Amino acid sequence: MNRIKFVLRNERGFLLLNVVFLTLITSFAAMILINAAPRVRNPQSTLRLTALYLANEQFAELESLAAREDISGSQPFLGDKDDLKSNNLSEDNPIEFKVTTNVSGGRAVVKVSWQVGGEDFEIETERTIRVVQE
Amino acid sequence: MFKNNGGGFVVAEFAIALPLLILVMYGLATVSVKIFALGKSQLADYVLESEAQYVMEEVTHIARTAREVEISTSGGQVKFVYHTAADKNIIESTSLNGRYVFMLNDVLETQYFMLYEKEGRNSSNLYAKRQDDGTYFNPITGENYFGDTKVNYLKCAVNEQKKILHISLEMESLVTGRKIKLDTAVYMPSYKAGG
Repeated sequence: MNRIKFVLRNERGFLLLNVVFLTLITSFAAMILINAAPRVRNPQSTLRLTALYLANEQFAELESLAAREDISGSQPFLGDKDDLKSNNLSEDNPIEFKVTTNVSGGRAVVKVSWQVGGEDFEIETERTIRVVQE
Repeated sequence: MFKNNGGGFVVAEFAIALPLLILVMYGLATVSVKIFALGKSQLADYVLESEAQYVMEEVTHIARTAREVEISTSGGQVKFVYHTAADKNIIESTSLNGRYVFMLNDVLETQYFMLYEKEGRNSSNLYAKRQDDGTYFNPITGENYFGDTKVNYLKCAVNEQKKILHISLEMESLVTGRKIKLDTAVYMPSYKAGG
């Protein structure tokens, strides 16, 4: 007991080495946290891109249809039905896209919606459908 | 019996502190390696998405004005022919993969094709070649420093009646193995069936 008291009485605060180690460890941990923060994976950008190309597909079909006949009102998805299913989120989690279209006064509004984990997402695009002739 | 230099106490301190320190350092090293690996795969995914988008944009842009579309039976090559204000009275021929393609005066064309065989590499890249590029053709995908990619397929199908080109592209990252498939269609008002 006397010996411990003797040792404690002779302690003169922290060693420089202790402080260096502590600083190193905390700065290392802080750096990791700062790095990790923006790297939470967001798959939505890929799905949004897929949805945008799907909307373009519908616009192309509408343009083609408009060149042959007058169109107005609600339209079904006129493209390839297989394109409505996508594995871009992951191989074992296929996403179903829904495309709704409304044409009025030469303007077409195409909405593409999908669900991820019970949450709804949607993009809305609008374009003038002109009859193009060479 | 005891020497009053505190030597025994320091040994006990080290016996506890050293394994703890090693454990903490090991944990931190593992986490940091995982985070850097995650960052690497995210960069690779970004490259994949960006390259797929670039190919789609380029192909749809060219197809929009196409007058003819030629698709090879293997599906690895697609050629768009369109009219431009190029120099007249030039008739030239060029060779591409052993095939001869004849081009006429005011007609220009852009070809996209996949090459599977390249030195030191067995995955497919997409190449683009414009008629006025001469004999040069350049890869438009793959071999990015942040993540290599390959093109699994570029499927094009023309509906002659509707004048619509349906495009399907699947690309895969060689770093993460992740695949991206994009489908779209282009209306080609100048398209003439049979040229």
